[in-house]
Amino acid sequence: MIVSKSFRWNECRAIAALISGVVMGFSAHAQSDEHVLDTLQVHGFLSQALIITDDNNFFGHSSRDEGSFEFTEVGLNVSLRPHQDVLVAAQMLSRRAGGESSDVEPKLDYGLIDYQMVSNQQRTFGVQLGRFKNPFGFYNQTRDVAFTRPSILLPQSIYFDRTRSLGLSGDGVSLYHEERLATGVLRAQVGIGQAQAGEDLRSTLRLEDVPGTLDAKQSAIGQIRYEHDGGRIVAALSTAQAKARFDSSISEQTDVSFRFRPVVFSIQYNEELWSLTGEFALRPTKLGGVENRWVNDVTGESWYIQYARRFASEWQWLVRYDSLTSNRADRNGKSFEESTGGNVPAHTQFADDLTFGLQWTPHPQVMLAGEYHHVDGTGWLPIQDNPDSSATSRRWNMWLFQLSLRF
Amino acid sequence: MPSPVISGSLLRLALLAVTTLILLVGLAFATTNAIAREAPIFLVAHPEVTTRWLNRDTTRAIFAMRQRTWPDGQAVRVFVLSNSNPVHARFAKEQLAAYPHQLQLAWDRMVFSGTGQAPDRVNDQEEMRERVATTPGAIGYLEREYLDDSVQVISME
Repeated sequence: MIVSKSFRWNECRAIAALISGVVMGFSAHAQSDEHVLDTLQVHGFLSQALIITDDNNFFGHSSRDEGSFEFTEVGLNVSLRPHQDVLVAAQMLSRRAGGESSDVEPKLDYGLIDYQMVSNQQRTFGVQLGRFKNPFGFYNQTRDVAFTRPSILLPQSIYFDRTRSLGLSGDGVSLYHEERLATGVLRAQVGIGQAQAGEDLRSTLRLEDVPGTLDAKQSAIGQIRYEHDGGRIVAALSTAQAKARFDSSISEQTDVSFRFRPVVFSIQYNEELWSLTGEFALRPTKLGGVENRWVNDVTGESWYIQYARRFASEWQWLVRYDSLTSNRADRNGKSFEESTGGNVPAHTQFADDLTFGLQWTPHPQVMLAGEYHHVDGTGWLPIQDNPDSSATSRRWNMWLFQLSLRF
Repeated sequence: MPSPVISGSLLRLALLAVTTLILLVGLAFATTNAIAREAPIFLVAHPEVTTRWLNRDTTRAIFAMRQRTWPDGQAVRVFVLSNSNPVHARFAKEQLAAYPHQLQLAWDRMVFSGTGQAPDRVNDQEEMRERVATTPGAIGYLEREYLDDSVQVISME
């Protein structure tokens, strides 16, 4: 309860900052610029998926006969340019990915004022204030928008849900710079702000039933990105640090501090009809207040390679191999299984996912997609959908179908 | 002895298919070349815009909606034809070295992350000319036959 209250407080603060920004923008330019309202834009999206698994559950009771419809994403945003250098934008997001039906309650996804103070033929430079989306890897900023994803599910080794809330956005300040070089374009962004810690992190830390509060602390993010030859080759390096703290209100559970410091290297090669994409991430996690060495200082490793091919103008197919290792010091998870006395199976410590996907865009605002995953391991399987890890299967299959709309 | 007959006709069918494919690909290639030799597409702007030329990276940043002002500080308004319009595809490829689907993805990433806005869509080049001519700070593109004094041509480096 306290967690959700602090969320709302943060949102109030962000919205207040936003409104004051708009008002300032208007008052400064009310006489000089009657075109401000011409710049108002409203956009939205809606996606609904059906998920069917043979074993294990993903986003709801997907292994039941009828599958799970509990993967829904709805977003609505507004943006406005009150001044030529200023953009004000906010988006509300309602997302259900298994879990409680109360998860659909809309949340402020971002709400910011963007002041682009330098903008000439050599470079642009700007600052964002408010709740900004973290540029992490190729996909994090728009990870909930189906039209920006190459497949229904992003590669789960990097874009999994378990610590989603912590890496999604920050409430603070972010600076961005674009420099045009002779051979390409160099872009950089750094941000510091207050991260968020949602129920996903709480259940990942296995603290969902322990009385106490989980609060996010300061987070920092940085990305440097180089686009060669008009984006034919794109390379990026992103790094982040996010912290959270659990204050226990019972003596049986000590306070827990959590620190997540991932680094991801991303590379993409683009041709007119195909793209080859790869990302590699190292994910060091530190837990304070926990004695188990298989949990409290662990570096995970994630990578994938993906080939996407467009055909017949409205279609795209994709093949991807995606691999997650929870602990590089225990790749097969055997030591972890032993440390739990055999209660938690070794296959919870890795996941290798072979994916085939198909997208059809019969209209610019409509997309239908289907995909198949063959997975060895349950390393990124949501804990809330599979509370008893000893009941999970090591090898499992998943089919997904999704309808997406946007305007 | 029916199988050699079948495999013989299969072979002929396969040869026919390959020949047709080669012809079609050749034809498509010839058509592409023909299009490339068509009248060039010009970058155009509102007549009061003071910028006379843009380099390619700046033009790309403006059409990708990452840069929101002209180099002199005036707000820029971007007008584009639909993704499926061949003139849009030619403009994207020839002047921006990008493909329509890449531009669309760039816009979606801006619009849904709060870092930018979508460009304004127009239905055809007449509308493009009219909107660019009447919207302060506007930028767009036109084939030579649609150019007139109501818009100014911006040269690209």
